Amino acid sequence: MVKQASFYSLMSEIGGALLFLREVLRTLVTKPCSLHEVLLQIWRVTIQSFSTTGMAGFFVGAIMTVQFALQMREFDAMGYLGGLATSGTIREVGPLLIAFMLSGKVGAYTSAELGTMKVTEQIDAIRCLGADPIQEIILPRFIGIIVSSFFLLGLGLIMSILGGMLMGAFFAGVNPEEYIRHIPTIVTFPSIISGLVKCFVFAVVLATICTYRGYSTSGGAKGVGLSVVKTAVATMVGIVIADWMTSFLGDVVMKLVLGA
Amino acid sequence: MALPAIELKNVSVGFDGEIVLQNVSLTIHEGENFVLVGPSGQGKSVLLKLMAGLIEPLTGEVLIRGQNLKSLSREEKQKVVCKMGMLFQKNALFDSLSNAENIAFPLREVTSLSPDEIESTVDKFLEAVGIGHAKNLYPDEISGGMQKRLGIARALALNPEIIFYDDPTAGLDPITSRKIIELIIDLQQKNSSTVVAITNDMNRAYQMADRIGMVIDKGLILTGSVEETKHHQDARVHQFVRGDLEGPLMVMS
Repeated sequence: MVKQASFYSLMSEIGGALLFLREVLRTLVTKPCSLHEVLLQIWRVTIQSFSTTGMAGFFVGAIMTVQFALQMREFDAMGYLGGLATSGTIREVGPLLIAFMLSGKVGAYTSAELGTMKVTEQIDAIRCLGADPIQEIILPRFIGIIVSSFFLLGLGLIMSILGGMLMGAFFAGVNPEEYIRHIPTIVTFPSIISGLVKCFVFAVVLATICTYRGYSTSGGAKGVGLSVVKTAVATMVGIVIADWMTSFLGDVVMKLVLGA
Repeated sequence: MALPAIELKNVSVGFDGEIVLQNVSLTIHEGENFVLVGPSGQGKSVLLKLMAGLIEPLTGEVLIRGQNLKSLSREEKQKVVCKMGMLFQKNALFDSLSNAENIAFPLREVTSLSPDEIESTVDKFLEAVGIGHAKNLYPDEISGGMQKRLGIARALALNPEIIFYDDPTAGLDPITSRKIIELIIDLQQKNSSTVVAITNDMNRAYQMADRIGMVIDKGLILTGSVEETKHHQDARVHQFVRGDLEGPLMVMS
């Protein structure tokens, strides 16, 4: 009985989030929000996660290089180290890392901010003043998270190449020029598209969950805390599921359309 | 007789399977000062939000100047809502905006006024409620009484025809409470607007009401004038009005 109730509750949450996403997209098409607000959100999200994403990117590049170097030394193919480490980062680790970083910082922050606005009736006040809360406060945050995730992906990649390059030089004895030389040959166009698609999908998942949870908060301070916890759990699970789906569907699409 | 501004027809409201209001019917006329009273947790705020279009009824109809809110499109409903103002119980001021920006928000969103016109309108409203000097401060930098005044100014910014006040004197000292009620009456007389207010302070209710409605046991058990309220025979009304501890109403200890 309890399991059945939990299942219904989960289905209700997923359904609610999808209906909310539909409402956000409808508003995006019919009532675009202020560009100034969107730019403000992009700036806020990017700045909030700039240093942590850069640092994480640096170490991910270094870790990838160490892991690949251990294998590639056996095959005497150290020249391809930079290309393989970067390809792995752009296809999989980079988008996933950015999504997890944003989930921890921006997802929780957005959910708490919107949740507080909800329980203090500020969202009702917006509606009462003749404005649309989805257009005024949800849409700028939604777009802000998605656009920022691309900037942060770029930053993470640059830092991962830098981290990998340094680790390649100190750990594997591959000079920086050699490390970079094979990146363009191994990092193919489909790899870049795959990374960008994943980055977009993860950002949509994150933006939908954190804005939906915040917007549907109830029950005072306790409710806000609960929303933040639910956001953290749901985004982690949602991103991992989305990763599996994009990997699976991406593979099918690549085979069908690009023949890759 | 004045036309109906708000009509509730057999309205029921519930949350998570629990009925909060059942079969409530009420008509409030244009220019009337209607005050809702009743013990805490009986659904007064829910009733107010229902009239303001913030909550949808499970059954029944809510008509604002003859227009059924449920049958309106999102855009049509927004137009109706623009003609209503609301002061929330905890003010619901936008804490990330300055006091002036709080009032400017609806003007920017709904009207086509120029920035200069918006600024002069904001100044006018801040002066009207007596907090012109706090224009550039933020809501958390001013006192509770000033926050109420700011909330009232924001609710009136679009010159609404119907204004809802959810417990406008909650948490205020008796002198400030009296001033706030006088301000509400004064503004109502100037604008000839319809006012629906909630209060648990019977003196304040008598001070401002043309009619009083009492919400108890999921419904309106009384709608009448001040005199009718004072002399009502229902034991629950009698107990609430006199503030007696003994009686049919449950007293929270």
